Amino acid sequence: ENSPAPLPERAIYGFALFLGSWFGFMLYLIWAYVPETWLFSLGLTYWPQKYWAVALPAYLLVVVGIGYILLFGINMMSTAPLNSTHTITDNYAKKQQQKKFQEEAIPALRDIPISEVNRMFFLPEK
Amino acid sequence: MEERPYRSASGAPIALRRRQHSASCREVAVRCPRLQLRSLSAATSAVWLAAYGLFVLSQNSMVLSAAIFITLIGLIIYLHFVKIDQESLLVIGSLGIQVTSSYASGKESTTFIEMSQVRDVVINEAIHMQKVIYYLCILLQDPGDPQGVSEVVPLFQSSKPRLDCLIEVYKSCQEILEQRKTAPQSS
Repeated sequence: ENSPAPLPERAIYGFALFLGSWFGFMLYLIWAYVPETWLFSLGLTYWPQKYWAVALPAYLLVVVGIGYILLFGINMMSTAPLNSTHTITDNYAKKQQQKKFQEEAIPALRDIPISEVNRMFFLPEK
Repeated sequence: MEERPYRSASGAPIALRRRQHSASCREVAVRCPRLQLRSLSAATSAVWLAAYGLFVLSQNSMVLSAAIFITLIGLIIYLHFVKIDQESLLVIGSLGIQVTSSYASGKESTTFIEMSQVRDVVINEAIHMQKVIYYLCILLQDPGDPQGVSEVVPLFQSSKPRLDCLIEVYKSCQEILEQRKTAPQSS
């Protein structure tokens, strides 16, 4: 049911968005460039100040720039510190069930405790 | 007792010294890289150049004396609280594990962990400052859950040895810890 294939509904959504975005862009250009007296003469008096036509894009660009730094900082803050148990285990590993060992079958996937992994890697088998 | 050179995670030279006091007692000491003269001169020159620039702008000679004070006091604080000279690990079977850090000013800070609290000493890998590093850590037993780990105590945080050095320390510790399983449990 959830395929990325083109559907008639998606074509209509796309066209509606396309028209809407063009209309929004034209409205923004009219608001920014057409002098206020011409707009008043047409009877359209309740517009925001033209100051915002320049201020909002400037604010948006600064938000994008800060977003890079913010994402980097959030990543660093979410990293578990070296002394937390999250580097070793988590809720799923604590609650996992042991499956019975079957002969000649591939063992079931499970989280191996870190002590066992260390012994296998670093202690040479005699 | 031998001392072998290794490298830290950032490439600085460190030295590992192992001693076996008895069949159930091992001591491992890692000597951290020394304070480099060039980094000390660079920091001092930077602070004094900035102070001289401030002096030229403000014509206040107190800035220069303040810069000298800041440099001296900053160096003393750094040597006493930050710069670790040697980190050592003393494992005594059936008693516990003692972790000692000696600072460059001579101060020593010690932590002792009783053997019944120690679950295992393992080499763990974790993300640290945009790098993945190996570090040795002590896993403490969770008193309520026999299979659980309540706390992780990372070791050798200042010297940050690389994996080859850590494997040597790990093998030494495991030789002592394995004796726990064969020896009879004493409450």
